[in-house]
Amino acid sequence: MPMTRWSSSRPLLVADMTSFFGFSSQPLSPTDETAFLADPSCGGFASFEGWVRDENEGQRVNRLDYEAYVELAVSEGEKITAEAQRRFGVRQVRCIHRIGELAIGDLAVWVGVAAPHRAEAFAACRYVIDEIKHRLPIWKKEYYASGDSGWVNCERCAQPPEQHHEHHHHKHSDNPNHSGDTQGQSGASDYSRQMRLPEVGAKGQAKLRSSRVLVVGAGGLGVPVLCYLAGAGIGTLGLIDHDELEASNLHRQTLYAIGDVGKPKALLAAKHLRSLNPEVDVRPHVAKADRSTINDLIDDYDIVVDCADNFATTYAVHDAARAKGKAIILASLYQYEGQLQVIQANQLGSCLRCVWQHATPDGITGTCQTAGVLGPVVGVLASLQALETIKLLLDLPGRLIDEVLLVDLVSLEMRRLKALRHPTCEPTCTRLPTAPADAAQATELSFASLLEASQAGFCLVDIREPSEVADYACPVKSLVIPMGRLLQNPDALPQEQKVLLLCARGARSKGTVQALRERGLSHVWSLLGGLDAYR
Amino acid sequence: MTQINVRYYAILREQAGMTHQSVDTPAHTADALFTELSAAHGFTVPRNLMKVAINGEFCDFSRVLNAHDEVVFIPPVAGG
Repeated sequence: MPMTRWSSSRPLLVADMTSFFGFSSQPLSPTDETAFLADPSCGGFASFEGWVRDENEGQRVNRLDYEAYVELAVSEGEKITAEAQRRFGVRQVRCIHRIGELAIGDLAVWVGVAAPHRAEAFAACRYVIDEIKHRLPIWKKEYYASGDSGWVNCERCAQPPEQHHEHHHHKHSDNPNHSGDTQGQSGASDYSRQMRLPEVGAKGQAKLRSSRVLVVGAGGLGVPVLCYLAGAGIGTLGLIDHDELEASNLHRQTLYAIGDVGKPKALLAAKHLRSLNPEVDVRPHVAKADRSTINDLIDDYDIVVDCADNFATTYAVHDAARAKGKAIILASLYQYEGQLQVIQANQLGSCLRCVWQHATPDGITGTCQTAGVLGPVVGVLASLQALETIKLLLDLPGRLIDEVLLVDLVSLEMRRLKALRHPTCEPTCTRLPTAPADAAQATELSFASLLEASQAGFCLVDIREPSEVADYACPVKSLVIPMGRLLQNPDALPQEQKVLLLCARGARSKGTVQALRERGLSHVWSLLGGLDAYR
Repeated sequence: MTQINVRYYAILREQAGMTHQSVDTPAHTADALFTELSAAHGFTVPRNLMKVAINGEFCDFSRVLNAHDEVVFIPPVAGG
């Protein structure tokens, strides 16, 4: 039944912001759909209509059937309309997709966006239809004039590859040569070998395609993880890394070439991954992974794979992802060994801080740089990370839950150790550092940021000379007590609060802490690397 | 004396020069055992940074040892 725009029963003066996605087995009426978007604060309305046409790849089409994996597609479709609302600041977003039998000329999909101004309405409308085509598990069966018929897996696969990436969804990702990389590809990606597994199949493949995974670090662990996940057809694959390629990386980071030394790894990896599988939406970020950058990205992803090479990054990523209830696949290694842990998205199981409450200061236990590492050792751990990611996405049995896997590649032994949730672990895992009873031996601590140290309950004490403080003051609230004065009068320190001493590079504060510990003060620590490490 | 099977990982394996050993120890707890082995092998990682698992489960260092327990000392590792 036709309905005029302002005949809606919705109140005209106050309209809530809404975003909606749904399927309909009945014919769509643009007029009826538009009425849902009535909003007196909006001056612009844009809509898109997708129609059934009579030809596909040279074959005459008489009609077609749309079929969807509805529960998954609705949840993903709702994410897309909500994303459009958030990204473009529009007020009303609505998308309806047909399922069932359609004839030539029928309306297959309708998108409508209402916004205060036209520019964002157009942009959001374009975003929704592009993402719907890209991410939703929808198939169509075409009935050809020749009498044949055929299933086309998700609309997007039927397009020539160069069209897959013509849309630019994400302004914040670095995307050079985006469409150029896919030129010259022939045919769509072929997942038949993994789809043949009964546990994967078409349904599993659709789930992989609709999944969004963020990989932190494009180094030894990150490279194989990225290649396997891109190959598997993960729909959206983000990567964040601020390093440039070094020749010493190449023995274990197998997708890079010697001629690429000096270039940003995130961009090199993205280029390779797009040529490996043009269907994947690869989103590279040349940035340091810390709590703030991860916070900015994390809403766009379901799972975070931590492939970092230092404790500070791992804890920052873990805390940010855990707080948002995202699953995290963690791996780290030392020489011929590695550890693997999977943090569940439901926040009910154990987390990194349930096992290792405090971030170990980097440098104490050795790194790939100082202790050495063999390429295949990293490869094994990375393969396990990619495997656990896929198992988690497909809900396969045998997953690592509330456990830590120890992998010893000298003896070729693996060991699953039960790691239960710590009784004081909060749902959002805010087990912030508190002094363990036996902390007397550790004197240096590092944090994701100075603010985190402050928030963790430490009183920051700057022990530099006044002239140094005048040149560059500590950006976070701190006491200033120069080293000489402090050593003469340790009582000047707070008694009831943990104290973190800081100097320019961490040497003086370390020595001062040792001296104070010898005098019986057990509540003082030194900031590893000093202020220079946080500038 | 209690007979305990000990496994070392990462930097402990490197400093001990072995992946595992069977020890006869007077130690009653994992803590005491670690102190004893630290002295013997010259471990540099502070105990408070370490984890211990006994018979396949992470536990406190105060855990009492039983004969033939398998004790795994694990330092944190970050390489990637």
